[in-house]
Amino acid sequence: MQQKIMRLIRSKEAVLLLITIVIFVAFTINNDNFRRMGNLQGIMQTMSVTGVMTVGMALLFIGGGIDLSMTFVALFSGVICATMIAMGIPWPLAILITLVLGACLGAINAFFITKVNVMSFIMTIALSQMLQGVNLIITNAQDIAVTVEGFRWGARMLWIFPIPFVIMTLLIVGFGLILTKTRFGRSIYMVGGNEYAARLAGINPKKVRAILYIIAGTLSSLAGVMFTSRMASAAPAAAADWQMNAVTAAILGGVAFGGGSGSMIGCLIGIAMLNIFNFGLTSIGLATQWITMASGALLLIALTMDFLNERSRKKSLGLITTKKKLKLQKGV
Amino acid sequence: MSNQTLSPDTVQKQKFSLLSLLMRKRTLMMLLLFFVILVIFAVLSEGRSLDPRNLMNILNMMAVSAFLTQGVALLMISGKLDLSTGANGTLCGMFLAFVLREGVPLFPAILLALCVGVLFGLVNAALVNELNMAPFIATLATSLIGTGFVIMIAQNRIIPIRDTTMHWFGSHMLLGFRNFPGVPVSALLAFLLMTIIGILLHMTKFGRQIYLVGGNPQASMLCGINPKKMSYILFIICGLFSSAAGITLVARLQSANMQGLVAQRFQGITAAVLGGIILGGGSGGMLGAFVGLLVLNTFSNGMTVMGIGPGWHHVASGGLLVFALSLEFLQKKQAEKTVA
Amino acid sequence: MGDILEFKNICKSYPGVRALQDVSFSAKSGNVLALLGENGAGKSTLLRILSGDVSPNSGKITINGEEQIYSAPNDAIKMGISVISQERQLVPSLTVMENIFPGAQPKTKLGTIDKKKLRSESNAIIDKFAMPIDPDDLVGRLSVAHQQMVEIMKAYRRNSRIIAFDEPTAPLTESEINVLFGLIDQLKAEGKIIIYVSHRLAEIFQVTDEIVVLKDGLLVSQLTTSQTNENELIKAMIGRDLGDTYANLKRNDQIGDVILEVKDLNTNKLKDVSFTIRKGEVLGFAGLIGAGRTEVARAVFGADMISSGEIHFDGKKVTFKEPKDAIKAGIALCPEDRKDQGLLLFRTIRENVTMPILSRIKSGLFLNKKLERELTEEAVRQYTIRTPSINKITRELSGGNQQKVILGRWTNSRNSTKLLILDEPTKGIDVGTKAEIYQLVCDLAKSGLAVIFISSELTEVINVADRIIVMQNGQITGTVMREEATEENVLSLAMLV
Repeated sequence: MQQKIMRLIRSKEAVLLLITIVIFVAFTINNDNFRRMGNLQGIMQTMSVTGVMTVGMALLFIGGGIDLSMTFVALFSGVICATMIAMGIPWPLAILITLVLGACLGAINAFFITKVNVMSFIMTIALSQMLQGVNLIITNAQDIAVTVEGFRWGARMLWIFPIPFVIMTLLIVGFGLILTKTRFGRSIYMVGGNEYAARLAGINPKKVRAILYIIAGTLSSLAGVMFTSRMASAAPAAAADWQMNAVTAAILGGVAFGGGSGSMIGCLIGIAMLNIFNFGLTSIGLATQWITMASGALLLIALTMDFLNERSRKKSLGLITTKKKLKLQKGV
Repeated sequence: MSNQTLSPDTVQKQKFSLLSLLMRKRTLMMLLLFFVILVIFAVLSEGRSLDPRNLMNILNMMAVSAFLTQGVALLMISGKLDLSTGANGTLCGMFLAFVLREGVPLFPAILLALCVGVLFGLVNAALVNELNMAPFIATLATSLIGTGFVIMIAQNRIIPIRDTTMHWFGSHMLLGFRNFPGVPVSALLAFLLMTIIGILLHMTKFGRQIYLVGGNPQASMLCGINPKKMSYILFIICGLFSSAAGITLVARLQSANMQGLVAQRFQGITAAVLGGIILGGGSGGMLGAFVGLLVLNTFSNGMTVMGIGPGWHHVASGGLLVFALSLEFLQKKQAEKTVA
Repeated sequence: MGDILEFKNICKSYPGVRALQDVSFSAKSGNVLALLGENGAGKSTLLRILSGDVSPNSGKITINGEEQIYSAPNDAIKMGISVISQERQLVPSLTVMENIFPGAQPKTKLGTIDKKKLRSESNAIIDKFAMPIDPDDLVGRLSVAHQQMVEIMKAYRRNSRIIAFDEPTAPLTESEINVLFGLIDQLKAEGKIIIYVSHRLAEIFQVTDEIVVLKDGLLVSQLTTSQTNENELIKAMIGRDLGDTYANLKRNDQIGDVILEVKDLNTNKLKDVSFTIRKGEVLGFAGLIGAGRTEVARAVFGADMISSGEIHFDGKKVTFKEPKDAIKAGIALCPEDRKDQGLLLFRTIRENVTMPILSRIKSGLFLNKKLERELTEEAVRQYTIRTPSINKITRELSGGNQQKVILGRWTNSRNSTKLLILDEPTKGIDVGTKAEIYQLVCDLAKSGLAVIFISSELTEVINVADRIIVMQNGQITGTVMREEATEENVLSLAMLV
């Protein structure tokens, strides 16, 4: 038992949690605004959209992939959902159809990446370009308002927690359990950690990855629906680069960019850290340009940390073959 | 002899077919595609797309993307990639407009803007080479930072450019005859540079080394080439060309806005991949990239002529990218068949 | 019980090489079958086919007469086949127990992983191996030897009918080897079919019952271990056809001054390496894989960091920061891995040949294409590279011709190569071309070049080199002159067990 506690304290997640708390406390001391309950709920609201995407991104990272179409899958889903509701389709059904569409978009990524061997980042960028166009076509660059009251659950609270936050938390717990407790979850780590070994152990890496892309598509779609529900309208283009935030949050949370390690708890801490940081910057009165820059810088810092981490791991190992190294460099 | 190696002659005995020829000669295939697109749109638009003014329009549009393409094409041949060209160009154009407004004379101002581009490239190179980041993610991160700078300079406003030389560079036509209005100076410069670089790529030692590093960095290193140095130089060249693209854009628009090159940010890569420069590096050439550029631009121009909205342009450019990437796969399969 | 595994007419070719040709043999349960052969003889390919990682071009594998058709490793596992590969295939970021049960963790009734059972079952296996390994430890933190044991446990856990070991003892120490051999005896008693690949002849005699010898993708003989001896095995592995080749080699007998002197060279893999080589001399480097021979070559060439030591080349003390400096001084390296480090497979012969001499074929700013063509044609002629055109991409050439392209890169008239380092130049090359390469090496020596000849094929080093340096664990363990060199004395220096 004692050993277990020691392991817990020494884990990456514990360190990250500590950093997050320090950031939070620092902002709280410096700023009265920060302390109010409403603000905390605001942070929870904002973080849940990128948070849901981060879950998908983290799963992909662990399995050795990346999805850069998340922002536009989310926006597209918002637009589709809002349009369907405007057409009079009951909102639960509209959401369901939207999520299925999101899964299909994920499946398109999966097909080209696993079957046609297109590098994941370029394929998902291409899809995101196409969706950007589709959004413009559907909306004519206008926001689509949603007037149905029932659909506005995204802005409501469950006790003191915003509903999107509850959804995100459930997803994190759910996928956390899948990752740690199921064969499929463990096989994701194997595929990301050593694809060849996974194959020899009888796991089909392509299948695992394809499933991950479909999950990522569905989750992005869900994030878009949540955003639309909160805002009561769908926009064809985003104000922020959600997927880059998701990448940053995942890496900040200790999910290895090269695949094979990371956890959902780390992921949650990463999301919290990033959002508290951003929110703090806004609350002390920094303008958007600084926040955009800061998020870029934060991503670079996270990547550097990942690099140092990876290097120390490699040193202790000697297990990673040259082929794998080449792969890492090429960003496959 | 107990173990016979496959003799090259048996390998050669492959059925000749037009398709396999086109698969191997990507430039030829793209040229064919270009003509097909040209004809289709000419027919659909009842000849309007072949109007001299419209052809000029295509060339005009190509100036910016030609600059974007050549930098990134060189980098891609060497096996690396830059996704920050759009942000870099936007920043440089914005920076140029800004320093011009502040009263800096034109040539120092352009020099400064180019320096920004070089610096951008240098940062990318350092991240990729010193911190071992995958090029695509490192350049995505720097493009975020670049965009931050753009917002900071622009303060949500458009900065006009009143310099006459810039106007001349952006919009003056040369080589006009009869009812053909000519080619803009910027486009001429872009194509000229592209030709020169294309030639240098095949004729000089440095050009050859780009292919060698892209083909096999380890082997190149063992043959006395320094892949790291090459990567630095090429990232800087790419930054320089992105900067030139940004400058060309603001010269043509006579102002700098925050959108800048955002819409064109992946055009360079798409053109290069269409033209047969594979993502792993080591193959392709400038001619291919140019033909890729032609295909891309005739396609989007054709849609404009047909009155198809900007949404479809995005769809088409993303679709073309997927198409080009799938071609790469089919080509590889074909090559494997040839050998096995 | 009483299973029989049969390989029937297995053929497999890769671009340029025929890895396996019409290989047929069978293995019985309760027997340990050794697969023996030099590097590139086809052993690993055969195991990869058995594991379902690659499919043969033709031929089939049968168990008890039933043909086994499978396309992925998972199918092979289901048939009860486990292959322990030479490169440990583990996931460093996961725990020991998860690496023992990849994709097959015990489940609870809910379908989730039963951690308790996983741990207890892992413990049971670890106890069986009597290893001080904690099932909760990350595999990445284990020593290489323990990682290898985990790899073996992974296969043992599956309780397969057929277990293949590919060089299992390479990273192990004596005590672990004893555990492994005990285990193999036990598996044998349980009636499993065991295939055992190793380079260490002593082990073969210790644990195996039957021996299949492969050579250049062909099965050359099938022997019973108790009725054969080391000499016979070595003869079978090497084949007779090379005997004449060696005897007919026209060697260089004019050895000149010292060209390279290495003093107390240390790197993170080498310890106090000192040697000299003279002009016109062929200096062989023998040793097992991983003994540090390649590292010596790379350190001398400036490709790896040197922590201490001196290198004198051509009378001057030199420090090479990168290969470029070494090339300028006149050193050339043909690397061990032709495809990963040597060739640009998708570029032409011409471009591959002129890689290091681009600055010497410039006229003004531009490359002189005519000169480039002439130089390439010269290389093609000199080395009889069999190709229809110098503009053929090297991927389509056979292994031997590929190797000649690399040789041609360093030894044409525009090069100032004084020392040529050949790292495993005959790996994966057919016998005929091997003989050609030996003669080429001697010819080059005759022209005054110093040649370092690194090879894992003992007979080859012994017969081609004038002097042989033997390495083990990053150190030089001895130097033998050709006249005195026998396989026994070189091997004893290389292994020193």
